[in-house]
Amino acid sequence: MDHRARLPLELGLPRGARPRRWMPTLAAGLSIGEYARSLERRLAFLTAVLLAAIWALGGQGYFWPAWAWLGLGDLVLLDFTAGWAWRHPPGAIRRVACVWALVGAAAVILVFTWLLTWLLAGVHSFWPAWALLGLATAGSSYSLVALHDRVLVAHGRRALRARIDMLTHTRRQAVAAQAAELRRIERDLHDGAQARLVALTLQLGRAELRVSDQPEVRRLIKDAQHEARQAIEELRDLARGIVPPLLADRGLVAAVESLGARYGLGTSVDATMHRALAPAVENAAYFVIAEALTNTAKHAAAARSWIVISEERRALTVVVGDDGAGGADPAGSGLAGLRARVEALDGSLKVESPAGAGTVLEARLPCGW
Amino acid sequence: MRVVIAEDLALLREGLVALLRENDIEVVAQVEDGPGLLRAIAGHEPDLAIVDVRLPPTFKDEGLIAAIEARRRQPALGVLVLSQYVETAYASELVGEHTAGIGYLLKERVGDVRAFLDALRSVAAGGTVLDRQVVAELLAPREGADQTLPGLTAREREVLALMAEGRSNTAIAESLVVTPGAVEKHITSIFAKLDLGACDEDHRRVLAVLAYLRVAR
Repeated sequence: MDHRARLPLELGLPRGARPRRWMPTLAAGLSIGEYARSLERRLAFLTAVLLAAIWALGGQGYFWPAWAWLGLGDLVLLDFTAGWAWRHPPGAIRRVACVWALVGAAAVILVFTWLLTWLLAGVHSFWPAWALLGLATAGSSYSLVALHDRVLVAHGRRALRARIDMLTHTRRQAVAAQAAELRRIERDLHDGAQARLVALTLQLGRAELRVSDQPEVRRLIKDAQHEARQAIEELRDLARGIVPPLLADRGLVAAVESLGARYGLGTSVDATMHRALAPAVENAAYFVIAEALTNTAKHAAAARSWIVISEERRALTVVVGDDGAGGADPAGSGLAGLRARVEALDGSLKVESPAGAGTVLEARLPCGW
Repeated sequence: MRVVIAEDLALLREGLVALLRENDIEVVAQVEDGPGLLRAIAGHEPDLAIVDVRLPPTFKDEGLIAAIEARRRQPALGVLVLSQYVETAYASELVGEHTAGIGYLLKERVGDVRAFLDALRSVAAGGTVLDRQVVAELLAPREGADQTLPGLTAREREVLALMAEGRSNTAIAESLVVTPGAVEKHITSIFAKLDLGACDEDHRRVLAVLAYLRVAR
């Protein structure tokens, strides 16, 4: 058989499953349904050839087998389009596909019938035009109605995703800007207001030296100096609460080592870092560690504590552990505050604190900032 | 005494220069950053450098790093580091291996002019002056800490803290409202507890303070 004759027979078969033999067998790995369809097509083809042969042997004349071919072709076509429609996911899409399969099949049959009437009976006008238009209108209308909701949902999803992307982006910007702003405020407090107050105490000191013979004035100057010193101290505490200077000047590891030394718990610090971190990540990691150490010192009665800071690809992991009493309440205000801080950076916080077996707190902070 | 000042804030720098000049201390150079300090020291060979920790361009710890480098180049140079805040880590780095001629004070101490001038002279003469806040932090009792140093009594801690600030025995006695004799007794006891044997008195005072500093490291 020639190539052109084979093609329509095998169109409906799944790819890669084309049998090489003339008559398919179940052993070829086909399902019963596929087997039946394949058999049907081959029988249709055989019948078509047989009829053509009878026509050829019977003295030819009017080519009547064409009408039989039309019937057989309809059968194969409907089978093929139904198979195509069934491959779609169930639901509205499959229903729409089924409608279009029917519309398509009907259209092909109409056009083929017209072709036969034109070739065999000499009918020149394209009579199926209105029927085709009707079919297309019906198919389109059905599709519109059936897919309307779906299109709306997809549109809604896309809009939602865009909104999430935008919110994620702007939140990151806000958090990063806030961290940078806090650093700027800390520096401004030290170099602005605090420096002016220092200059003021210096001037007052110089003035005091010049009035050493006037105890009344000296006392006033001393009082003024005392006030200025108080103000300086308050500003210093305020700045330290915003960002500890060591963190701003030397980064996370130096600041954490200093923290560990201050708590004096025999705290070991093990840090693996490859690059400078964004201020937002650094601030969060620092406050997590500071809070954890404070809790350890206050409640844990621990003999030792340890801090491990490691950076892998796109996240910073901070682990603070102690061998103390354990039993920390993960819902307590301190830990809840830390969780909020970490989650603002899309990070996560885990606390393991079984009674009597120490506490291990692990914060994971994405560093793509 | 010849002094170099490294401070980027003009208001404070000018105030310091005026204060020193009024008290017959010669200011040979005023600079605004670390490299400037190193150049001034090479050029003027001063007795003392007064250095702000945060200097341009990044306003982090350039001043401290420049001060340590200046000391490395000229071990005889006295260095007084001023800062808006104190960090024990910075104090430890500053003291390093060379214990003499080091000062680390909060900036606002300049307001107490007499004490500030005493500290300047002490550092220039090879003494060690630490801000009372550093000392307080070093001496603060730590929860759960090992007592690496033999336990000093509360009064001995007070005396040690005042020694660390560079105060004389008389000044310590005045401050604690005790007799100079009592202060001496406390100091002898501190030296004994810290196992600082016979050597010259000033040196032992420095060592006593450093013993605490080292524990803090």
